[in-house]
Amino acid sequence: MPDYDAIVVGAGNAGSAAAITMASKGLNVLLVDRADPPGAKNLSGGVLWGNDLSQILPKWQSEAPLERFIDNKKIGFLTEKSSITIDFKTKYFDENKVGHTVLRAKFDPWMAKKAKEAGALVIPGITVDSLAIKDRTVIGVQESGDTITANMVLLAEGVNPRLSIEAGLRKPLQDRELSVGVKEIIKLSPQKIEDRFNLSEGSGMASEYILGNLGELNIGAFFYTNKDSISLGIVSPMEELRKNGVTHTYDLIEMFKEHPSIAPLIEGGTVAEYGAHLIPEGGIESVPQLYGNGYMILGDAAGFAFSNGLVLQGMNYAILSGIMAGETAVRAKSMNDYSAKSLSEYEKKLNNTYVLKDLKTFKDIRKVTGNPKMYTVYPQLLEGILLETLWERGQPKKKVRDILSEAAGKMNMSKVKTLTDFYNIYRRM
Amino acid sequence: MMDIKERLGTIKYDVDKEYAHITVDEAICEKCPHHFCVMACPAQCYTLQNGKLMFNYEDCVECGTCSVACDQGSVTWHYPKAGKGVVYKFG
Repeated sequence: MPDYDAIVVGAGNAGSAAAITMASKGLNVLLVDRADPPGAKNLSGGVLWGNDLSQILPKWQSEAPLERFIDNKKIGFLTEKSSITIDFKTKYFDENKVGHTVLRAKFDPWMAKKAKEAGALVIPGITVDSLAIKDRTVIGVQESGDTITANMVLLAEGVNPRLSIEAGLRKPLQDRELSVGVKEIIKLSPQKIEDRFNLSEGSGMASEYILGNLGELNIGAFFYTNKDSISLGIVSPMEELRKNGVTHTYDLIEMFKEHPSIAPLIEGGTVAEYGAHLIPEGGIESVPQLYGNGYMILGDAAGFAFSNGLVLQGMNYAILSGIMAGETAVRAKSMNDYSAKSLSEYEKKLNNTYVLKDLKTFKDIRKVTGNPKMYTVYPQLLEGILLETLWERGQPKKKVRDILSEAAGKMNMSKVKTLTDFYNIYRRM
Repeated sequence: MMDIKERLGTIKYDVDKEYAHITVDEAICEKCPHHFCVMACPAQCYTLQNGKLMFNYEDCVECGTCSVACDQGSVTWHYPKAGKGVVYKFG
């Protein structure tokens, strides 16, 4: 008889959600994480849309270590000298309070603690060496020469899934499916944060930018408020970094911080922590076979993250995939069937949720987000229109139509290509 | 621009002195046409000194960037053992 019903590798959002789902239904669950405390190696931009948490942790909004709830969302372009943003503030955010900034080294240990309270055995500081596989079935994990066995192994090992890759359960990572996220935590007093960003106690702001101030590079950035700090960073597709080849990733984040619209927002703040993490951005094409005899793949390890240039989400996809895998495991246990056929229920469940639906709906989004003009020509064009219309220079005014055609001429934009771009945005975004 | 050394100084590590979780093959690095690792690594673990690639694993944040950035087969990449390595306070 195996040691456990299920072993979960990785106590991030996906792994802990799965462990809670299974343990609360009486399964004998081992949750291991290579960090001690669990979560201490995890890092993300920091906005958690927690809708799905209510299914497993109904009191999460009052109990979890959350930073600020999002009541103001901004999206924008930065050019060398300008910032053009849409500033969205709505009572809908206030009334629901589902979007929160979090710091993973605080939030993830809380979720792992909830898994323990649900009855899972949580062991931090364990790096699994490899999967134990027998007769084409995953039968457990190997750690320091020992084999720990289970009917099911849930692989929630994160964006760099060494175990899955080494066991041949998914292909090695490639440039096109990854971005490098670089982040800094900047300490600022709650008073300063609330004054600077027009917030009240507990409310927060989340901004995402397309950086048009870095030449040809297609790079995005984020800026979020925590209780007494700012989380800011850049998201650089690996392909872009390779093409560029002359700027260090650790300098790109500084170029964002030094932008004339960003620098004043962090003035007087001190860097409390620097960090970096990969981000899975390969979309549906990067999603591996999600299950097999004795295993399922969850969260970032399965490529479950979503980005369309306006939003960048992963934690919600991780949590929901964890719950779906957990429910599948509970069903498998009730039938005493851990075969691929039984665990195929996991994919069926995901197909009915936003996890796989979103990845399928936006399968061609890279035709928009990968278009270099989104980071060069279009921000400049917008800036040009705003300068001509909003800046009084004592010159005769022009119609928008004329501004556009002049700017297009200056930038050598062909009408057909531009219309094709807008058609792509309209169809795929 | 804040020096990367100073920023790395904000990170807490529990360095495993016995075990380097990443190793590079110097002979391969010597012939590498691009040394993209030097640009890509966010923790400045890869540097060029007089044209020679130098690597240290102590500042590594275990992101995995170099394992993909290196297309020459020089990087052997594992996670650290027993909770060693980066310990984020905020994450």
